[in-house]
Amino acid sequence: MAISSTETGPSDGSPGLGAFFRNLVIALGIMAAGIVFAVLCAVAVFSALNTVLPDIKLVQAVLVMVLGVAACFGYFWGSNRLLDMIYPPRGHRVAENINAANGIRPWLFLGPAVIILGIYLVYPVVNSIVLSFYGPSGEHWVGGANYAWLAKDAAFRESMRNNLLWLVVVPAAATFFGLIAAALTDRISWGNVAKSLIFMPMAISFVGASVIWKFIYDYRAEGSEQIGILNAVVTFFGGEPQAWITLPFWNNFFLMVILIWIQTGFAMVILSAALRGIPEETIEAAVIDGASPFQIFYKIKVPQIWGTIAVVWTTITILVLKVFDIVLAMTNGQWGSQVLANYMFDWMFRGLDFGRASTIALVIMAMVTPIMIWNIREARKDMK
Amino acid sequence: MKTSMIVGALALALAGTTAHAADLKFTPGEDARFNWKSYEDFQAEYDFSGQELNIFGPWLSADKDLFESITAFFEEATGATVNYSGSDSFEQQIVIDTQAGSAPNIAIFPQPGLAADLASKGLLVPLGNDTAEWMKDNYAAGQSWVDLGTYKGNDGTDAFFAFPYKADVKSLVWYIPENFEDAGYEVPQTMEELKALSEQIVADGETPWCIGLGSGGATGWPATDWVEDMMLRTQPPEVYDQWVRNEIPFNDERVIAAIEEFGAFARNDDYVDGGAGAVASTDFRDSPKGLFAVPPKCYMHRQASFIPSFFPEGTELGRDADFFYLPAYAEKDLGTPLLGAGTVFAITKDSEVARAFIEFLKTPIAHELWMAQSGFLTPHKGVNADAYSNDALRKQGEILTSATTFRFDGSDLMPGKIGAGAFWTGMIDYVGGKSAEDVASDIQKEWDAIK
Amino acid sequence: MSTPVGSRPALAWVVNISVILLVALWTLPTLGILVSSLRDKDQLAVSGWWTALTSSERNLVARSAPPEEARLQEGRYVLTGNVFEGNSGEVTGFGISSREPSAFAVGENAELRDGGMLTVDTDGDYTIAYSEKPEPGRGQRIFVSTVEPPKFTTENYENVLFSEGLGKSFINTMTVTIPATVIPILIAAYAAYALAWMEFPGRALLLAAIVGLLVVPLQMSLIPLLRLYNTVGIGKSFIGIWLAHTGFGLPLAIYLLRNYMAGLPREIIESARVDGASDFEIFRKIILPLSFPALASFAIFQFLWVWNDLLVATVFLGNNEEQLVLTGRLRELLGSRGGNWEILTASAFVAIVVPILVFFALQRYLVRGLLAGSVKGG
Repeated sequence: MAISSTETGPSDGSPGLGAFFRNLVIALGIMAAGIVFAVLCAVAVFSALNTVLPDIKLVQAVLVMVLGVAACFGYFWGSNRLLDMIYPPRGHRVAENINAANGIRPWLFLGPAVIILGIYLVYPVVNSIVLSFYGPSGEHWVGGANYAWLAKDAAFRESMRNNLLWLVVVPAAATFFGLIAAALTDRISWGNVAKSLIFMPMAISFVGASVIWKFIYDYRAEGSEQIGILNAVVTFFGGEPQAWITLPFWNNFFLMVILIWIQTGFAMVILSAALRGIPEETIEAAVIDGASPFQIFYKIKVPQIWGTIAVVWTTITILVLKVFDIVLAMTNGQWGSQVLANYMFDWMFRGLDFGRASTIALVIMAMVTPIMIWNIREARKDMK
Repeated sequence: MKTSMIVGALALALAGTTAHAADLKFTPGEDARFNWKSYEDFQAEYDFSGQELNIFGPWLSADKDLFESITAFFEEATGATVNYSGSDSFEQQIVIDTQAGSAPNIAIFPQPGLAADLASKGLLVPLGNDTAEWMKDNYAAGQSWVDLGTYKGNDGTDAFFAFPYKADVKSLVWYIPENFEDAGYEVPQTMEELKALSEQIVADGETPWCIGLGSGGATGWPATDWVEDMMLRTQPPEVYDQWVRNEIPFNDERVIAAIEEFGAFARNDDYVDGGAGAVASTDFRDSPKGLFAVPPKCYMHRQASFIPSFFPEGTELGRDADFFYLPAYAEKDLGTPLLGAGTVFAITKDSEVARAFIEFLKTPIAHELWMAQSGFLTPHKGVNADAYSNDALRKQGEILTSATTFRFDGSDLMPGKIGAGAFWTGMIDYVGGKSAEDVASDIQKEWDAIK
Repeated sequence: MSTPVGSRPALAWVVNISVILLVALWTLPTLGILVSSLRDKDQLAVSGWWTALTSSERNLVARSAPPEEARLQEGRYVLTGNVFEGNSGEVTGFGISSREPSAFAVGENAELRDGGMLTVDTDGDYTIAYSEKPEPGRGQRIFVSTVEPPKFTTENYENVLFSEGLGKSFINTMTVTIPATVIPILIAAYAAYALAWMEFPGRALLLAAIVGLLVVPLQMSLIPLLRLYNTVGIGKSFIGIWLAHTGFGLPLAIYLLRNYMAGLPREIIESARVDGASDFEIFRKIILPLSFPALASFAIFQFLWVWNDLLVATVFLGNNEEQLVLTGRLRELLGSRGGNWEILTASAFVAIVVPILVFFALQRYLVRGLLAGSVKGG
């Protein structure tokens, strides 16, 4: 909601400011009507079905589910019909009507998304920015005190260092393994089976993943039989068993392995789709020229899917910035493995200091600015 | 957002309540161990038919069933419906719920420090002076329990906010009597004897202690109990109080000495199963299992009264496994100090039913009914000690009432960021090899940061 | 499709072996808990899962029948029984003190402190003989070293699956997951189309803002939103959590779908426009079918995310029987049985079965969509 009113910059070929606002008002009107229509549909269907169906929990749940989805469909269909009724694309003013409708329709399409984003994400961000200037309970204005505290806080510096490590290692490793996996599995007959197996960790919740990896990193004292496979391997080769997740600094990497393990499947699926989308002709031409499979892969295929690699990298980077569950479950930031998202959680629910928690949240958001700028550039390039 | 409101209402309507008359564990009027008169008096006074009471706490599975067996009597007496829900992440969730305005009527805090934090933000309702007076008169060492529930409100004045109900004894050492017999060890009566016993076990080529600090996101907490116990055994209780309130700094030499007392056990590779390196990474729920291993991985395990839940299935308390009081130094003359903990009940959303529930907690019957089951100790003086279901509980009850000094778990009283954060982390660092001075200074620094 | 490498058999071998290695590495952790979850809980705690198929050596402690049950036989008071109490195994040695569980070889006689003579056979049968009638009391502890055959059991799963309320939680999770997957896809698809193919002022800025919103830490928005819900009157309800998941999933959905849609061939859309199709029609009849792979991919991701979510569910749904979701239920299991690997492994596996099934089910469509050759790099 907040966004739409700030979008006033006229761009090439767009109508003037006045027309823009007129469109906006009409769009809002239609949106409201669409929502009302959707709700009326939902309620009508609900009361009709409710009288017929028996009072069983499962049936009711399914019903509510259908309603939610139906309301969504109802909105898009209804609002579009309404727009076409206001500006019918026929009759003596066809051209004008189509133009006017085209000015409004994007906002009908975007409307629900913008409203939801506004409520669920923009509002909390604004709230955080305000809170970052207030004391623990959000009542006393403290100016920049939270920021000053952050600059001097040792735990924050540690989290920053770790987060930067995560940012470098995890997206790179996950994308790399994903690309390798995609390239290799596309060449073999049982590739889809292999893909499914590599993708499987994606399906595992962080709670589940923590259990799995605790089992791998499990440590028993030297001399007794190891039930963690990592220590079993180490002792098999004559090494000393280690309590892996308590080794300062290195434990960061043991935690990162978990996320890489999970995210490689994501990278692989997307990259594999991109690889298959490369036109046959370019590759055939290279084969005829006598290029080796490695040359084809690095010189022809990879450059062609560079855009997709970037998308995958960005997505994983953003996920890394928010990584929290793994650290919370495995170490809770102890043994020098703190990361920003968990540190924020810590200040919010253990320190009960919303001011400081908000400040850390803003740092997390600030860290993504470079990625954002790059994406805006890409988007601009696309649109030209 | 009309859509959401209406569909929301529909969704709410679907989530209808399923009130069902819970079965009572004991039939009112039967069994002379119980003070049924207090139940009948309570029943006569209140009637809340059709009303609801929402209670939110940390208890799950077995504990939840136990607590619900108690609330069933409240339901039976008043006609109200009690909805208890428990969560493993109680600490975070109660913050979210109270801040966001969807608080339950009553919250059960395992950490008084958290209740104090919420009270200072005006999120708890004072219980009134009458209740505080009642507690002073009816609980053993009443004033200390009143102090436990008294915090500063958002107006800055002290008030009684939280009602302690259900106590735990922490200064216990668990052992296997038959293993002691086999090896010819005696239960130590003083700290000096305990240390001598540890030495003797090492000399016999065995390992005396199992210590595990692992607890997922709460890793480190068992060590804070050790330090508090050591604090009470090396310093007078006044110093302990000052430490908990940060009136003496965390890096005071007396605190450092207590940390090092703990280190004498936990940082000694000969003393702990797996060596000092295993202490931090062994799960506290796994560590008592070393007692039961064949051959035993260790002979003693210091942990609170709840730990038998993690003993192997079928372990018979008092025979297969038993406990003794973690003794004090004979030479220091500090009496028999005892470390304990308790859950406190606070009203987070006022209602008549919630008030009545607090009244219910004052009745002897509310205590006796749980005593007769398991895992419950009470300082209530008006209850019948015969109601304790077994000797182990009765013995713990005796330890609780015979202690010359009783202090609450200090980490639960400290601000959450310290008692459930920096202190834990500090102890992990300490067993990891950092010096006690450095660790204590770090914790003090963190404490300064939140002042 | 990619080019075959049949002309170079050596390379084909390398590729196959590399994939096998990769797959092995990636499935090993999951395999570990799968095997563990099927093992006997006592064996699980003392030996690695990779030894599951071999016999394991273990020290056991058994307790003899109480002395008062001794019967007079040939002038001696004799107690008999079996240390395995119904199970089977092979005894390699026994002892009478916890310190030396295999001090005596099978068949030897060991003198107990109370004067009895104990002997244990290979099959676990024990005999304690007293020359005089023994004092009544507790049975003697008998320590035995045993070799146990590998034991597998479904008991762990029975414990998890038939624990109270799991079915109810399953339905709750379904109720949360399905709308929370479908609604954001619908909303995001329309928005992504508008951002990719419709001209309007502020398009780039809006896109940038959406990318920026990708990183808003979820934890930050919990309290303001719940407060808002309580003010509006939604409170803790399913509609609240659907909308919350929609909100949190939208940026990624819009970002992925827009990138995909923007890569669709311009000619198709232009020619449809020239033919007089409206944007609504173009979207429904051309973009939506063509975007199926992208929609399916996002559906998988959103489904997995919602299914596996714990944080959002604990905040926006109650912890009571009526609203508790599967992850919450499992967390309860973990919390109260934290030390028990058999419960942990079995419940972790139960939790991942449905998402994996959904993935395999949807994967067919995913692959079909991909084979249509309509994918182009972002």
